[in-house]
Amino acid sequence: MIYPQKLSSKKGSKLINILLISSILLAFILIIINRLTTPSIPWAALTNCGIIYVWITVLYSIKKRINIAGHVLLQTIIISAVLLYIDKELGFKGWSIHIAIPIVLMIANLTMLILTIVSYKKYIKYAIYQLMIVLISMIPMVFIMEKMIQPTILNIVAIAISIINLIISLVLSYRDVKDAVIRKFHM
Amino acid sequence: MKDNKKNKLTWRKLDNSAKIFPLSTGKKYSTVFRLSVLLKEDIRPQLLQKAVIDTLEKYKSFKVRMKTGLFWYYLEHNTKDPIIEEEKDYPCKYINPKTNRGYLFKVTYFKNKINIDIFHALTDGNSGTTFFKEIVYTYLELSHQEELSSENRQIRKIEYNTEDSYIKNYDKKAKSNASGKKAYELKGRKIKLGAISVIHQIINLEQLKEESKKYNATLTQYLTAVLMYAIYQENYIKYKGKKPIKICIPVNLKKYFPSKTMSNFFSYITIVAQIEKENINTFEKMIEFVKKEFQYSLTEEEITKTMSSNVKLGTNIFIKAIPLFLKKILVRLSYIEIRKYTTITYSNIGRIGMIGDYKKYIDYFLMLIAPEPVEKIKCSSCTFENNMVFTFTSILDNNNIEKKFYDFLTQRGIEIKIESNGVLDDISPETKQ
Repeated sequence: MIYPQKLSSKKGSKLINILLISSILLAFILIIINRLTTPSIPWAALTNCGIIYVWITVLYSIKKRINIAGHVLLQTIIISAVLLYIDKELGFKGWSIHIAIPIVLMIANLTMLILTIVSYKKYIKYAIYQLMIVLISMIPMVFIMEKMIQPTILNIVAIAISIINLIISLVLSYRDVKDAVIRKFHM
Repeated sequence: MKDNKKNKLTWRKLDNSAKIFPLSTGKKYSTVFRLSVLLKEDIRPQLLQKAVIDTLEKYKSFKVRMKTGLFWYYLEHNTKDPIIEEEKDYPCKYINPKTNRGYLFKVTYFKNKINIDIFHALTDGNSGTTFFKEIVYTYLELSHQEELSSENRQIRKIEYNTEDSYIKNYDKKAKSNASGKKAYELKGRKIKLGAISVIHQIINLEQLKEESKKYNATLTQYLTAVLMYAIYQENYIKYKGKKPIKICIPVNLKKYFPSKTMSNFFSYITIVAQIEKENINTFEKMIEFVKKEFQYSLTEEEITKTMSSNVKLGTNIFIKAIPLFLKKILVRLSYIEIRKYTTITYSNIGRIGMIGDYKKYIDYFLMLIAPEPVEKIKCSSCTFENNMVFTFTSILDNNNIEKKFYDFLTQRGIEIKIESNGVLDDISPETKQ
């Protein structure tokens, strides 16, 4: 083998199809949850816009070879801060923490998951960004534990997704991390 | 390089051919070529880093970064050391100077392979090979200090300059010989996610020579004809092509004009095969056609015409006077059309010679050219010892042309070993993945 292993064209196409079908399924599940739990607030429309946004960002970034993980992290922080600010300016009704930020975090996690899977054999490259997004995702948990806000289904789903995401990333990058530790700390 | 006052960085103009590359280049059109060498041992990165730095001391024309002027880009001395890293990405990708300490080339390694990706604005394949060979020599001397030393190497005093040999040699009165018809464009779905397929066909040189002799053809002529035949059989017929198949063959101008420049000094000939009109539909007809075209085009007169028509554009006072940002827009717009005049490029840099003692550490060399959205496949070849490595770099999501090329040669008893980056399916049972 004279080249680093790359995702073959066939596997790449298959992966894109699987992720596309998963995205469509996820969109339907979110609509059903929305209808069953809070039909008065159409938040599923927002999450589905987010899914489309994820696809555009991921495909654009891969084609243009941008460090997408860094972008996702930056966008997550900025959008969350802006949402919090808007909520505060409108008299802080808590929609930013209960609805908007969990949606942003779910989208960020989903993007990172797609990115981790698509960027074959480069899992470790995104592990640090993934970890930071997980830490940010944990912030609502602190608010909930401190009883500053009431837990909502979206908060819980967002936290759960980020934890699952971190576990997947760690499993995928375990070997790379182990290699790096052995290399750096050999005696 | 022009030496300005002390403490000021030296700089030089881009050569006439190089002027166009930064104007037309982007992530889709990288205009990057790669040279690789496969050694018989794993690469030691720290030694490679030292080898590159030492080589840059000898070839200062490569120790440059590109800067923006009001009318043209120019090259300025780069004070930083280059980055050497493990190969991760696809070959021949756009070199972003911002993430490469300003350098217009990038050295990477993978296991026992050293790569250099070079942005064409810096130099051409011929001078790029000279530079790369020096890196390889220096690396081997550093890694085998007891067996090899630079003193053992019969060091020729490295005599080179960075003159614009185009300006020195072009003929103001020469008429243009450009063909006016657009070329057949290879059809088919592209590989997703910006991937590039690389397939190297490592051909037994002696057997290939014997086969080409049967047709009284040179290796380049023979392989051009095989390539044309593969395109015709696997793409042209299937998609009912009408336009001519045009194969662009770069030509090293140093063979025709005296020059010691390390800047670009190449031109090209274009083999235009009107398949339908001239009824060129068998391999025998194709090779005869290719031979005639080579004989006609590879004369000093014809080469001068092609070279001169390109130089005239760069020296035109009205073009010179257009501000750079506007030139960039105009060139990019005009290149949308210009790119439609070639079906495929095949560049043969020929034999890469190494001194005896050093040969035993080397398996073979590779050359690769970046494919583009219009020219979806590009081909290149180089020879080391008894191996000619013919390389296909492609963004087409099928390897029909590569496979036809392989089948054609193997059916004639020529031994071929395949190496690839695994993006597309194997084309032979012996393919190593």
